[in-house]
Amino acid sequence: MRLLLVEDEVDIQSFLRRSLEEAGYEVKAANDGKTAEHLAVEGTFDILIVDLGLPDQDGISLILRLRQLGVRAPVLILSARRSVDDRVRGLEQGGDDYLTKPFALAELLARLRNLLKRNSPSAGEATRIRVQDLELDLLRREASRGGLVLQLTQQEFVLLEYLCRNAGRVVTRSMILDKVWGMRIQPDTNVVDVHIYRLRGKVDSAGQIPLIKTMRGVGYVLKDR
Amino acid sequence: MSSKTDKQPMRSAAWRISLWATLAFAFGTMVVFVFLQNFVAGDIQRRSDAWLSGEVETLGDVAERTPKDALYSRVVGEIAELAEREVPNKEADESEPDDSVFFLQSGSDGSLKLWVGAGSGEEPLKATRASRILEDHPTDVRIPGFPIPYRVASIAMDDGSRIFLGLSERDELRVLRFLRLRFLLLWFLIVLLGFSIVFFTTRRMLSHIRRITEAASRIGHSELDARVPTTRRNDEVSQLALTLNRMLDRIENSMHQLHTITDSLAHDLRSPLTAIRGKLEMSLSSVIDGEHAEPIVAAIDELDRLTDFLNKSLDVAEAKADALRLTRSAVDLTDLLRTMTDLYEPSMSENGLRVQLISHGPVEIFADAALIHRMVANLLDNELKHLPADCTLTIESRAEDDTAWLILEDNGHGFDTDVLPHLFERRVKGRDSNGHGLGLAFVDAVARAHGGTVTASNREAGGARIVVSLPLAERQYVTAPIASVSASS
Repeated sequence: MRLLLVEDEVDIQSFLRRSLEEAGYEVKAANDGKTAEHLAVEGTFDILIVDLGLPDQDGISLILRLRQLGVRAPVLILSARRSVDDRVRGLEQGGDDYLTKPFALAELLARLRNLLKRNSPSAGEATRIRVQDLELDLLRREASRGGLVLQLTQQEFVLLEYLCRNAGRVVTRSMILDKVWGMRIQPDTNVVDVHIYRLRGKVDSAGQIPLIKTMRGVGYVLKDR
Repeated sequence: MSSKTDKQPMRSAAWRISLWATLAFAFGTMVVFVFLQNFVAGDIQRRSDAWLSGEVETLGDVAERTPKDALYSRVVGEIAELAEREVPNKEADESEPDDSVFFLQSGSDGSLKLWVGAGSGEEPLKATRASRILEDHPTDVRIPGFPIPYRVASIAMDDGSRIFLGLSERDELRVLRFLRLRFLLLWFLIVLLGFSIVFFTTRRMLSHIRRITEAASRIGHSELDARVPTTRRNDEVSQLALTLNRMLDRIENSMHQLHTITDSLAHDLRSPLTAIRGKLEMSLSSVIDGEHAEPIVAAIDELDRLTDFLNKSLDVAEAKADALRLTRSAVDLTDLLRTMTDLYEPSMSENGLRVQLISHGPVEIFADAALIHRMVANLLDNELKHLPADCTLTIESRAEDDTAWLILEDNGHGFDTDVLPHLFERRVKGRDSNGHGLGLAFVDAVARAHGGTVTASNREAGGARIVVSLPLAERQYVTAPIASVSASS
């Protein structure tokens, strides 16, 4: 996956480049809008990360300009601003996504994956998800492990489904809040942890290999191997 | 326009203004008329007096020269009748009995010597004798049997007799009555016309003011780029609109500056935070478990708390200046509370707390969903942190008139009485609180930004009570946001 990273802050650019390369992306970086425009036209990229506060121009203007030049790749907008510009909302509706700084790397990677998935033709929605011996029936809203049906509440099923869809990848607390409860909040209590703790009590009962793993300081991951 | 005053014109300022203006106008014109009428009446009287004096002199002359024989009465009578035809202000109406003028000559002994006029002449003789009539100065005389007084002039003859010439005031009064009638009709029409003109012009002018008021009230926190309507005319109203717009320009400018400051502050702090967080995460991934991970995890937690603190501080700062930017949409408060309660319930029961949600059906508000989420999260975080085990938290949402109520009640220790009055100020926190003291200030900020309030009190039965009020969504916003604009303009 070829990725164009447009970010003027050297510190952020360097750690993003390293993390993205570790995640398997082929990264080209630009410090300003002009270089970015040049690079985007020269080569083809699968996805773009654009910071809104560039030294020579506004990030949104750059994106609109690239769209005019025929760049179709989805864009993840990074913003350190407080308010979400109406134009960002417009882009969001057009299939792009935005992320507020500071962010968790896991969230950045998850959003990139979502953007790429949205852009590629999907093979139809699966009705069943299997992760190791855990099986989710999405039509009957039923989960079972090792053939035994798990007694989950509606909320727990949605949470487990989200973890399963991202099996093997780290999801942060704010990602869970956003995707499962539909709210972008940062509670200063352990509300998400308690939900995970309860779910883990049902999914990883005694004697079984624990599937839901806590990534300290980052979030959670459902192990897929 | 859909204003109350439009439906009840009697209660509008335009109505009051035109009523008073019309009253003043009517009174003024009436005074002018009375003056005019008196002037005209005086003039008419002066003219008829002059005529009377002249005629009586002529008659006296004629009577003097005419020999006192059998022809005397005929000659004088004829002269008198001739004079009668020249009566001023006479109406050419022959149907009435001709009693507008009489001629009377009384002898020196007071007997009736000659009478020309209607009737026998006895009554006028008595009446004229009863009233003292001065030479050369006509006087009003009431004669029994005649409803209208006569104006009588007299002249003394050499032989001691007196000649009286009476002119009925009927014609004069008729002229005046005619004048009064015409004037009253005209006065009524003019007053009516004046009232309508004043009413419609003031109404037009005031409707412009009302449009300005309506537009100005629509310009809330989030709609600062709107302006009140102006006209091309350079009158007081358009100057008011221009002044308002200039004031709005300045407010928008300072808001813009405040936003620029908070934005750049956020930007300048968030960029290094992003870099630090990224580096911490990278070093965390390179650490293989164990003790080394612990400080990094703690640092990331601290960093997230710092970020949250930064966001809330700026939000509270902006809200204190009524400059919080809202992205409004229709939100069902009851539904939102149910979701939030679902999220918080496990943590609550983990802490030994019970949560009870009381709802009275949907409560629609037109609000920034993200901010309301964060506001409720702050309230619930607050309860979660401070409520002792075995307590019950009740969350209630209710719609009343045009207000949405969100009521949180618990049966814990309640608020410290010394903290209670300053609960929603920045950096105020309970003794055992480990938060940054922004949570409730943020709740207050969000409520205020939405045009609502938040109050805290201790319940009489023990425990705390927090009440948040928010304006209910107006029906037009929920159903047809575009239709509402055209309906109100």
